[in-house]
Amino acid sequence: MDNLLSLLIALIFLAGFATPLIHKLAGKKTGLLLAIVPLSLFIVLLLELLQLAPRESALLQTSVSLLPGMDFAFRIDGLSLIFGLLISGIGTLVLLYAAFYMAKYERQAHFFTYLTLFMGAMIGLVFSDNLMVLFIFWEITSVTSFFLIGFDHHVDKSRQAALQALLITGFGGLCLLFAVILTGNITGTYVISELLQQSIHLGNHPQYYLILALIILGAITKSAQFPFHFWLPGAMQAPTPVSAYLHSATMVNAGVFLLMRIYPIMGGTMPWKYALMITGGITMFLGAFFSMGQRDFKRILAFTTISALGTMILLIGIDTTSSLKAALVFFIVHGLYKGGLFMIAGIIDKTTGTRDIYDLHGLGRQLPLTAAVTLLALVSMAGLPPMLGFLGKELIYEAKMQLPDVAWLVLPLSVGANIMMVAISITVYYELFFRRKNKAAITLKYRERELPFYFLAGPVLLAAAGLFLGISPAFLELPVGNGLFFMGALTGSIQLSLWHGFNEVLRLSIFTVLSGISVFMLRAPITRFIQKMVRWFDQWPLPTLFTQLINKYLTAAAKNTNLLQHGYHRFYLLTFFLAVIALMGLQIFRITEIDLPELAASPLKIHVALLLLVTAGAVIYAVFSSSRLSAILAMGVVGYGIALLYLYYGAIDLAITQFLAETVLMVLFVMVIYYLPAFAVLSSRKSRLRDGLISLGVGTFITLVVLKAKFLNLETPISEYFAARAYTEGHGRNIVNVILVDFRALDTMGEVTVLILAAAGVYSLFRFQIKTLKKKKQNKA
Amino acid sequence: MNNIILEKIALLFLRGIALMSVFLLLRGHNSPGGGFIGAIVLAIGFIFYGIIFGSDRIERILYFNTRIWMGIGLGFVLLAAVWPVFLGHAPLTGLWYTGNWPLLGEIHLGTPLIFDTGIFIGVAGLILSVIITIMEVLKWNT
Repeated sequence: MDNLLSLLIALIFLAGFATPLIHKLAGKKTGLLLAIVPLSLFIVLLLELLQLAPRESALLQTSVSLLPGMDFAFRIDGLSLIFGLLISGIGTLVLLYAAFYMAKYERQAHFFTYLTLFMGAMIGLVFSDNLMVLFIFWEITSVTSFFLIGFDHHVDKSRQAALQALLITGFGGLCLLFAVILTGNITGTYVISELLQQSIHLGNHPQYYLILALIILGAITKSAQFPFHFWLPGAMQAPTPVSAYLHSATMVNAGVFLLMRIYPIMGGTMPWKYALMITGGITMFLGAFFSMGQRDFKRILAFTTISALGTMILLIGIDTTSSLKAALVFFIVHGLYKGGLFMIAGIIDKTTGTRDIYDLHGLGRQLPLTAAVTLLALVSMAGLPPMLGFLGKELIYEAKMQLPDVAWLVLPLSVGANIMMVAISITVYYELFFRRKNKAAITLKYRERELPFYFLAGPVLLAAAGLFLGISPAFLELPVGNGLFFMGALTGSIQLSLWHGFNEVLRLSIFTVLSGISVFMLRAPITRFIQKMVRWFDQWPLPTLFTQLINKYLTAAAKNTNLLQHGYHRFYLLTFFLAVIALMGLQIFRITEIDLPELAASPLKIHVALLLLVTAGAVIYAVFSSSRLSAILAMGVVGYGIALLYLYYGAIDLAITQFLAETVLMVLFVMVIYYLPAFAVLSSRKSRLRDGLISLGVGTFITLVVLKAKFLNLETPISEYFAARAYTEGHGRNIVNVILVDFRALDTMGEVTVLILAAAGVYSLFRFQIKTLKKKKQNKA
Repeated sequence: MNNIILEKIALLFLRGIALMSVFLLLRGHNSPGGGFIGAIVLAIGFIFYGIIFGSDRIERILYFNTRIWMGIGLGFVLLAAVWPVFLGHAPLTGLWYTGNWPLLGEIHLGTPLIFDTGIFIGVAGLILSVIITIMEVLKWNT
């Protein structure tokens, strides 16, 4: 069973990569076929959930060993099960839904590939038991969501929205990476289970504030919290199935998940509380407030998502058992109704051709099923019984009322946000489905009966789930209790029920609903007021400011690059050599003062002296020769001279290599030399003097370094180790070769890869020229 | 170029040098030689052939183009790197087979030979790739 889960997660990725193939075979049924994978995952997770019973503190663990020391461990507890169930369940429905919704789109194979990979990454993220692995999946969701948001890549707006989402979540991802590395350095492990078992809390560590800031940045960029919230409404450019999925169970909820996951390790301190409460509170209120001023159904939903996420972040920040419980339950509530509402927005868009709620009316008669389902989802969003949303909202109120010191601020904000939620729910339903006498009926492209069942299944099933769980919330007690237990709550067992007596919380709810209804009655002036506010806020449009910031950054980078990469080869060489001189000089004088060895140490043989003399002569000839060919030949003499020196001192392999390389170089030079312009002196005397001085300097310093290296041993040389082990362990008598292909094989591998890349570079530099040449030849022939 | 003697000699020379390069590759582990040296020798043989007949003829002998050969070389290197991983060792660990064969005597075969073969093919491919590119740009012997 445990391994079945890992297999299924691998299968999602496999399905993602195989999608182009599946699409070729299945055509328009691709989405339906693919839905089998998350569906089976959903069933397996349900079975796992049953295994978790009856203990609230149970923990299932499974791991696949890939490489030694690199386990893909999964952590299955209440938290990851709740997220996993929602991701796989809604994922199944979204795939079914997309099968019809995307039917007329081009590049469907691409779409389903991205969506399936995104799903796999999200599942991996919530189940991974290793912070590093979690980070990797986190980044995969960022990248795949980039492709999903920008799926209509021919539209300028989509591209911009996708880039914005990628840059912001990518920035958050980097912050998360730093936080993960710091955490790993401090605690010595990346494994979440170990961190939890040792009950490590970083609160007292001096670097705690840094890590916390980075984690929170990662979470609030992903979860679209103020002031990074603006990428989410932009992401509405994505096809509707993607929006439904991003908003309900995945992507933006990853930030919430991260905070819950990391809570036992670094949560609950004062900065944690205040940072999350401030950003969550602002986001919660602003999101709900601005949703009222929008016309586009999807945009309205996007702002309510921002508000809901703010609520979750705020609840995590409040940091009591009841608030964490409320956050978990509210995540389920929100996933169920938001997924359904987005799909409904898609259905209405498909059938009527518009998403502007003020252009629509009287759809209740024509789309009865949709109307009924929308009603259920909106009731849940407004937080009314008997939907699960009611339970969620009651828990939230309860948690916030228990807050001793800041309840006076949090509670009004929260009630205000909920009033707006009630009002917007009523407004949406009224505008969409009620008949207006003075307007003509809307003409539909499809009738509801013509829509395939799998297109309607998503919202229907999600609304049904919300209703079912609302009536019998006891089903949630186990996973929520288990999740809370591992978040460090004192007790794991909790009771959930729809009716909890006529108390303060219920009175507050009734007040909220009544106020919501009155806001709905007065919606015309309120909407006008909000639109005025929106316009006022648009004086500092965050998306535009963000784009400007990025553009400025790019200009600065371009300037910098132009300064450093000027394109003059001789100046690159100059910079390089000067840097070498400076660094080497520093090292030489730092270690000890220079002491030249006595030359008398070994008597100079006459043939070596002759060789040196010839080589030196060749160098001088090469420098002063006014013919290119003879200069090159002289350089060849230098090369062969050096090779002979190697040979004389016993480095046979080196000598052979030098000979051969020199030969190839000669051939190359001779081939090219015909095509070079005539030799001419173009440089001034001054610059030549400067170059000469620099080359002399480099030569001198290299000589000094070599001398130094000969007489200075900082560490025991490793050569003896190699010499001793070459035959016994490397099975070879040629030490040089054993070092190259065995002891230091990684270096060789890197070198060969670089060389081959260089060759590929040479080829691509001349590719166009070669192609045109070949074409000409063909034309002639 | 229609000099039949030169053609035959060039072909013979190429064959001899190719044999020599493989010999250098195989003996490399115990005596001077090895993949890199063998590769340069092989490349020099082909360059000699190409100077006489033009780069098209080299490409015809090679069957694949040089970039594919470079890829094959890297593939061998990667194979030698990854193989030990599946047997529970660190990447690039040398795995050895030692045996006593009737005609060959005692032989040692190991993944470093695969690695060196990869270097041999890759480096030869890359030198030829550069040379052929230059030859084509210069319209050498066409």
